[in-house]
Amino acid sequence: MSTDARAGAPSGAPVRPDAEPPRAARPAREHAHLGLGRLYARRFARNRLAVAGAVILALLVLFAALGGHLTRYAYTDADFTALTAPPSGVHWFGTNQGGNDVYACAVHGLQRSLTIAVSVSVLTVVLAAVIGSGAAYFGGRVERATLAVIHFLLVVPSFLILALVSHRLAGDWRVLIIVLTVFGWMSTARVIWAVSTSLRERDYVKAAEFMGVGPLRVILRHLIPNLGSLLIVNLTLGVVATVLSETALSFLGFGVQTPDVSLGTMLADGATTLTSAPWLFAFPAGLLVLLTVSMTLIGDGLRDALDPTSATGSAGGRR
Amino acid sequence: MVRHVIRKAAGWLLMIVVATNATYFLASWFLDPRSNYRDLRPVRSEDQIDRALAPYHLDPREPLVHRWWDWLTSVTLHFDWGRSPTGVSVNGEIGYRALVSAELVTLATVLSVVIGVALGVYTAARQYGWADRFSQAVSILVFNVPASVAALLVVFVAIWLNQHAGLRFLYVAGENSPGVEGLLPTIADRLLHLILPTASLTLMGYVGYHLTQRSLLLDTLGADFVRTARATGLTRAQAIRRHALRTALIPTAASVAFSVPAVFTGAVITESVFAWNGMGRYFVQTISKNDVHGTVATAAFAATLTAVGAILADIATVFLDPRVRVS
Repeated sequence: MSTDARAGAPSGAPVRPDAEPPRAARPAREHAHLGLGRLYARRFARNRLAVAGAVILALLVLFAALGGHLTRYAYTDADFTALTAPPSGVHWFGTNQGGNDVYACAVHGLQRSLTIAVSVSVLTVVLAAVIGSGAAYFGGRVERATLAVIHFLLVVPSFLILALVSHRLAGDWRVLIIVLTVFGWMSTARVIWAVSTSLRERDYVKAAEFMGVGPLRVILRHLIPNLGSLLIVNLTLGVVATVLSETALSFLGFGVQTPDVSLGTMLADGATTLTSAPWLFAFPAGLLVLLTVSMTLIGDGLRDALDPTSATGSAGGRR
Repeated sequence: MVRHVIRKAAGWLLMIVVATNATYFLASWFLDPRSNYRDLRPVRSEDQIDRALAPYHLDPREPLVHRWWDWLTSVTLHFDWGRSPTGVSVNGEIGYRALVSAELVTLATVLSVVIGVALGVYTAARQYGWADRFSQAVSILVFNVPASVAALLVVFVAIWLNQHAGLRFLYVAGENSPGVEGLLPTIADRLLHLILPTASLTLMGYVGYHLTQRSLLLDTLGADFVRTARATGLTRAQAIRRHALRTALIPTAASVAFSVPAVFTGAVITESVFAWNGMGRYFVQTISKNDVHGTVATAAFAATLTAVGAILADIATVFLDPRVRVS
């Protein structure tokens, strides 16, 4: 935008519709105009760490989606000729105590962990956006009650309640998704509430109200779209948080249960044989760290790319 | 000022009461004490099982509200937290464990805050220097390592050190060695066992303080009052210590309260990995054994820890923030 202004300004000629200078400036203007998506993509690509994160994540998704076709073992197959065998040509990541191929387990576990993490994160952000912006928009008693609930749930050791509830219900990963969502929306909702309190004072919200637009519509059409960048960033960081808590739950035996496999249950398997069979621990741990670190890098990159006031996105400087 | 702290403390007390009772109902709904008797041989009938559970106020035929009232009165009047489905007294279990866990959580929290804040101040004062970039890279990596992976890595490194460097004092299992006599040897033995779990909890806890303290201090470093302080002739270090840091510490102090639940969660995993007989491991065991009363006692303990952290944070805020003192 500022380049346009500078391109037009030095001409000094009286501006008439048919005058020469504006026409000369037009190509420059078209060059400067980027679609919003392209602009974000460029700003994102300028952040080398974020791009590295995106590449790692893409490879992980490819691994989870297609890795199963590269081996003839399924994660449920037990190879009784190779119990706790180290990595070899037959079993690329070795086998565990039950003779299950660790490579096949890792592919399946990564799939499970990714599915759970992405769905929980999406659900959490949707729930948090509705509750957070709703509390901010309605204000008054609704706001105070919602905040009280949020603060209470934030301070109560929610992990304990999570473990308690999922012990009985889980085993099925779909139930785990719901449980993790129900106990995971609070901190995001609080952030969204804080930002929405300034949005609710904006003129376009007032204008919509005066035109008789209902509260639900104001929230859905005017508040939430303006929180877009915040929501996207929270979505990526929510994936990290979910992976961490799913791993913790499964590690303790309260999350995904035995016939099924997630990276957390694999870690629990490897924990007992840390020195005698380190590969049981190393592969799931490595995949987990790659997954969370790549998501964090992407989240940071998105935050910088989507934030119009961020200096890092526009200037060449790195974080 | 004292009134402010007392009012806050009353609020936290209410929080503990509400959280504990809520956990009681959740635990009663989701845990099934009868399953402890189902696998016994000879097989018990459902009636027999219910009758066996009745003396512990766990009989599912009794209405939940009655059971809750019995539990509540025994806790408030006799501080008796009830019994497990197999008749083990919860009080007997938690007395020792609570001490062990409180020790671990307190030490880890204090170390995390001290290390994290110190690192945050050090790196903020040298923004974009190599120390800043390096420690930030490490912190981002550590921030993303799951607690279980971190604890297991600490165990792995400790075993490696024990084997290759000939160290004898890194214990990877238990909170004390059997057969240690005398006061001083006992304390020394405990401290040695404390090293690794505390290290892995601190490793997970310091990161948040480092990253937030760094950005908080960076925000205040450019503020007018810091420039004024420099203009009066203070060195940069003095201006940071006396003026910038004091302001930037307030949100950190407030955030300690919200970090205690996370530390306790970390302790659940750390205690499981290091085979510590603390409240975290007890919680895992009680849930797996469908022990309603034990689970509730653990939740009450965690809530109490949070409240203590929060009250300390409030007191720290009062000292740091003159606005709270005045109003």
